[in-house]
Amino acid sequence: MLEVVAPGLLTTVQDSGRPGAVDLGVPIGGACDPLSLAMANALVGNSAGEAALEMSVVGASFRVIADCVVAVAGADMGGLARGESRLLRSGETIEFGAAVDGSGVRTYLALAGGIDVPEVLGSRSTCLVGRFGGFDGRPLRAGDLVRSRGRWLLTTRRWPAAPTLPSEQRLVRVVRGPDAAVLGDAFDRLVGTAWTVGGRGDRQGIRLDGPALVLSTGATMLSRGVTWGSVQLPPDGQPIVLLADHQTVGGYPDIGVAISADRPTLGQLGPGNKVGFAEVSIIEAQHLLREQGADLERTVATLP
Amino acid sequence: MAVDFALEPHGDDAILVTFGDSVDPVINRRVHGAAASVRAARDRGEPWATPIPSYASLLAGYDARRLDVAGATSALQALLAAADETDLESDQPALEIPVRYGGDDGPDLDAVAQSTGLTPAQVIDLHSSVVYRAYMLGFAPGFAYLGELPAQLELARRDTPRQRVPAGSVAIAGRQTAVYSSTTPGGWHLIGRTDLVLWDPAREQPSLITAGQLVRFTPRA
Repeated sequence: MLEVVAPGLLTTVQDSGRPGAVDLGVPIGGACDPLSLAMANALVGNSAGEAALEMSVVGASFRVIADCVVAVAGADMGGLARGESRLLRSGETIEFGAAVDGSGVRTYLALAGGIDVPEVLGSRSTCLVGRFGGFDGRPLRAGDLVRSRGRWLLTTRRWPAAPTLPSEQRLVRVVRGPDAAVLGDAFDRLVGTAWTVGGRGDRQGIRLDGPALVLSTGATMLSRGVTWGSVQLPPDGQPIVLLADHQTVGGYPDIGVAISADRPTLGQLGPGNKVGFAEVSIIEAQHLLREQGADLERTVATLP
Repeated sequence: MAVDFALEPHGDDAILVTFGDSVDPVINRRVHGAAASVRAARDRGEPWATPIPSYASLLAGYDARRLDVAGATSALQALLAAADETDLESDQPALEIPVRYGGDDGPDLDAVAQSTGLTPAQVIDLHSSVVYRAYMLGFAPGFAYLGELPAQLELARRDTPRQRVPAGSVAIAGRQTAVYSSTTPGGWHLIGRTDLVLWDPAREQPSLITAGQLVRFTPRA
């Protein structure tokens, strides 16, 4: 069990999300970088989508109240070494700080047995807009007690490969969006531009700062469903790429949709990062997704 | 039953089904009929996610590790061919939402009256005279888009959205009206407030308003 000493910028309980209630306006949510969540969980013997803590941009500090086994994956926020399980002893303190530039912006702290909070609508993820799930639908604050639900892992686990560090400019692969045909050359300009991520490290989406992609004709559309990875084009011409906590429906045209396999890359993009886009076909995108899943399974199978 | 729709991929794990391009109860019934068909397939273990219905389209997500895009498209085509128009309204009476209009509960009522050339009393009468249809939920948990607002009340969204709209606020924009289901930022005009709880995940039916439901507003002191 851990006690929160300082909560960091935005620390919330996230699991693999809540996909069943999207037709009630509930965002799917869950970890913005599901691969790092899976890694941290595998290292402590949890299932890939088990509830863990997600720390954004600036991490939290904890006091260990009772011995527990933890693991960390994702951005480098110091505190504990990433990629290996660790037994924490009562009385220890761990301090996670600001994510090291270039290493990502989200760090996952998994506890063996998973975080002990009630399931709401089938998930332990925190729904910030609806104020439910996780710790009463809010970010963690000083004094909160983080308990695990289950048993310990007795063997030490270490991830066999060093975590891949994203390069200076990240690349996100996209397929042409449903509205690309009516948006003139917006898609070509999306993939031809080096964008800078704006905004504040929001879980709903990232703004892309760069040349405005303004449409010659105003496009007002009926609100319709959108997904994580949708690249939306608002009237001001600065595209927004949706993340895990995106609203379920949107009224802006979709230039393109980032591939599912690159959702973890999107989840590690923060203010000031440079990002570029490359077009792939849907068939290629699905192949990349299957490959990513198979790689993860193979690696997890090698853990003791 | 032959229904016109267009299918196109939305990314690598969803298909967008478009039934039309206007706010129309007939089109919307088709959307919800199709949604019910996909949910039933999901419940049978087929690799479909909960689909997202909207005014005139349905976004059907699928497990792209189990279905490729061609397989998903043809499977969805078959599901849609078998779907019925769902008459969600059936025999349910309209849900009544008691509203305190104006004052601190409806800070934009006077401005709406001014912009539409009506008196505040006329705005209230018009707003509460119509039985609305819940076309879809979105924006936030339990937020239902209700239509259609009488044309005399049609206004664009506020120039500057509010940072904080209290839950229960009754609002209008365009030809739509809604009740804010939680405290969020918002750009619609606030004309009143209800004490009804629109969203409670602990309830058996977490959202007070469901798609296809009829809703009316009743002025209260």
